[in-house]
Amino acid sequence: MKKTKLGEFEELVLLVVGALGEEAYGVEIKRELETRLDETLSVGSIQSALKRLEEKGFLTSEFGEATQKRGGKRKRIYTITAYAHRTLAELKAIRADLWKSMPKLSHALKAI
Amino acid sequence: MNRISKPPQWPLRVMRFFVKEQYIEELEGDLEEIFHDDIERYTIHRARWRYSWQVLKLLRPMLLKNFNPQSVTPLPMFRNYFKTSFRSLVKNPLTAFINVFGLAVAIGICLLVYTFMEYDKRIDQFHVNKDEIFLATFFADREGEMLQYGFAPRPLGDLMKEDFQQIKHVCRLEDRSVVIKYEENVFHESIRYVDPTFLQMFTFPLKWGVPSSLNDLNSIILSETMSVKYFGDENPVGREMTVIFNDQVKKAFVVAGVANAFPKSRDLEFNFLVNFKNIEIADPSYDLNDWSEFSNATLVQLHHASDVTSIETQMAKYKTLQNDAQPDWQVASFKFEPLTTMHARAANIRDAIFHDYNLEGRIGMPIIALFMIMLACFNYINIAIVSASKRLKEIGVRKVIGANRMRVIVQFLTENVVVTFFALVVGFILCAFIFLPWFVQFTGWELELQYLDKNIWIFLLVLLLVTGMVSGIYPVLYISKFEAVKIFKGSLRFGRKNPLTKIFLCIQMVLACITITAAVVFVQNNDFQNDRSWGYQQDNMLFVSVPDKTAYDKMNAAITPYKDVERITGSRHHVGKDNAIAVLKTEMNQHVEVTQFVVDENYFETLKIPVVEGRNFRKNSENDKRALVVNELFVKNMNLPKPLGVTFGLDSVQYEIVGVVKDFHANDFFRAIEPTIFRLADENEFRYLSLRVAEGSEKEMYQALQTHWMKLYPEIPFQGGYQEDVMGSYFNSVDKSEQFNGVIAAIAIMLASLGLYGLVRLNVSGRTREFSIRKTLGANIKNIAWVIVNQYVVLTMIALVIGAPVSYLFTKAYLDMLFAYPMPMGISGSLIGLLLLVFVLLAVVSTQIKKVLKANPVEGLKVD
Repeated sequence: MKKTKLGEFEELVLLVVGALGEEAYGVEIKRELETRLDETLSVGSIQSALKRLEEKGFLTSEFGEATQKRGGKRKRIYTITAYAHRTLAELKAIRADLWKSMPKLSHALKAI
Repeated sequence: MNRISKPPQWPLRVMRFFVKEQYIEELEGDLEEIFHDDIERYTIHRARWRYSWQVLKLLRPMLLKNFNPQSVTPLPMFRNYFKTSFRSLVKNPLTAFINVFGLAVAIGICLLVYTFMEYDKRIDQFHVNKDEIFLATFFADREGEMLQYGFAPRPLGDLMKEDFQQIKHVCRLEDRSVVIKYEENVFHESIRYVDPTFLQMFTFPLKWGVPSSLNDLNSIILSETMSVKYFGDENPVGREMTVIFNDQVKKAFVVAGVANAFPKSRDLEFNFLVNFKNIEIADPSYDLNDWSEFSNATLVQLHHASDVTSIETQMAKYKTLQNDAQPDWQVASFKFEPLTTMHARAANIRDAIFHDYNLEGRIGMPIIALFMIMLACFNYINIAIVSASKRLKEIGVRKVIGANRMRVIVQFLTENVVVTFFALVVGFILCAFIFLPWFVQFTGWELELQYLDKNIWIFLLVLLLVTGMVSGIYPVLYISKFEAVKIFKGSLRFGRKNPLTKIFLCIQMVLACITITAAVVFVQNNDFQNDRSWGYQQDNMLFVSVPDKTAYDKMNAAITPYKDVERITGSRHHVGKDNAIAVLKTEMNQHVEVTQFVVDENYFETLKIPVVEGRNFRKNSENDKRALVVNELFVKNMNLPKPLGVTFGLDSVQYEIVGVVKDFHANDFFRAIEPTIFRLADENEFRYLSLRVAEGSEKEMYQALQTHWMKLYPEIPFQGGYQEDVMGSYFNSVDKSEQFNGVIAAIAIMLASLGLYGLVRLNVSGRTREFSIRKTLGANIKNIAWVIVNQYVVLTMIALVIGAPVSYLFTKAYLDMLFAYPMPMGISGSLIGLLLLVFVLLAVVSTQIKKVLKANPVEGLKVD
């Protein structure tokens, strides 16, 4: 776990890619994230996150179909790797663990 | 999809340039998709704006191209470039010399020209108040043409100071020649009468003394040069100098100040300054309130420069005053010329105290500089292309190791800039220690390199980059194109087939042709100008300047007994020394400006100016006091089919033409002959005594004149000389321009032939093996020579066919610009130029043929 530094935003992007499955390309990822987070994101921020994730081995990608709306340019479809899956699961486990300890902590806080 | 719904183009271009190539397609698609979504949601304008904004936000490190692929420092690479550059320079010392030296000379000349232009630009710009100082000028109608004059009516200055609040200072100025005496030193000098405001308006700081002393009527202020001339290095303040205005009036002045040495870029200056009021002592008839008379200059300084337009609009009342008093000088309008642009405009203003001597230089010098740098660059380009053949393997190796085309281009351009830098250093030294001192010495323009001025360094930097790039860009693009495989296979035959190379060589020869022709024609023109007839006989003539009639009579009496004296004449003016401007009024009430000479009845015969129509003046004839003799040009300009008997008004008196003389040159050949009139002089007007003497007695008679003068007027220096010398300064300047053109032409010819030599030499040495094989197979001198000459024949022919007419037109235009009476150009100049060029070419080629013939073919075959 130590070596894989996954930023908060990167984690979200990764999760969205996983959730979208075969539909996961730039514009769709952006749209999904914007609805989920309820804020506007720039293409640049998402793309640089995607490229970084790909570099770290969390994502693979390949060209998909081209549409008229895209001016005949192909989409790039991103897929999460097994390694990414594992990392996300690990992160989720860690969070879940931490959540379990939450109530006690908050009681203690109240007591003080 | 209509056009408007397309995304803007420029952000796309930005993106394509900066973003990594492998991402472009995806990103472009994404952006376009978002753009179309946006169109549905917002206005088209907003969508486009969002699109651009998104692109700009794309420029993040993660997505950008790697513009510096090597993570290692590029320093060793550049060190390697320098090393190889240096090695290739050393390996071909002659080529390197031709390149560096040629460029250096051209750069040196550019720098010289720059210094000159800078000097010219700075003239009179050192005055602190320059923005607020104006010279009063006026326009007058001369036969329908508005001419601008640089002097002003005498009372104008005084009245304007009273009438206008906006005027801070007024300075009237008169120039006169006087004799100045200090102990044993007596010289003719020119003196400036100025208002004391002169030193407040203009920035002429004093070395010794105070500027306010000019208020004192008895003070005189000297320039540094004059202080040294009369007093040496000591401080002369408090010394007494005598100013002899004429032989009746003299006055003692106390030296009250000495100016610092004047800045070198100046036009306005002075030798001696005295208070303006002294003019009334020098000339008792001088009336300050006389609107019909003029003073040499009236200068004003305003509180705010912008007030000048409002003043100009209120000048009408002065115009009326002036025009009532002086019908011959009807002022059309007054204009105030700012000091800041005075020098550039001076050529258009007549008889101003400001002059522009640099006009021809301003036009001619940049042309020369451009020519030189072009010649050097073409030399360089041609040699660089050919010498690249020797470095093909290096390029191949570099490409194999992994240099892309960009790398090779960078390498060779760097090399080029380094070579140019060498040339720049050498050129700078050449300019500073050879060209500039030489130029200063023969032109008298006190130019100097302004080391401290940042502009000169900027100029040098720009020159370095431009020359480096221009001379290098084509060879570099050409060389870098080669593929490594072809180079190693040796299948590359280049240089000879390339049409651009041929064009360059052709241009180089055309340039050489122009230069050589120009050089020949300038030399021819010089002979022509020297042999040109003045229209009168200059030899065996002497003249002496006299102050008045008494002096004339005394000198006349003293000199008449000599048997060598053939004829003596007295005159107010004298050809080559002095003349006046007169304004004639025609019967149609038109005003015509002419040159006027006031002479006696012996003048034409003494000078041998032929009378072609009518008659000469008659002695002591009352009638002839209203007679005019005019020159042929006057008759032609006025369009008089029967000139005799035609009358003109001059100073409100009617004059009648009684004779016509042949045209002659009253000025040097730079200036056109002007329409000229002669009027009969009253004896009291005599200021010159001229005499024609017997052949060979000139020297003797000159000494006799001098001796008699010394006896009669020991206090006043003798002012006279040989008529042949009156145009001394003209011949001096013709000689100067000949010398300059000669040197420039020599340099240009040298550059051109050096370039050709380098080219031919490289070409031949590149084909050593071929020639060796030819020789072993039995080629004789004819075959070899033909093979070498062959490739240049057609090119030379084309170059000559283009070069001859171009050079003819070019030199003709240049001559017409310089001389009022340029040499009628025949084809001899071009022909000699062509022959010279062919000769240079043949000489260059023959050295190489000789080299090939001498070389041992076995050695030649061993060359790699």
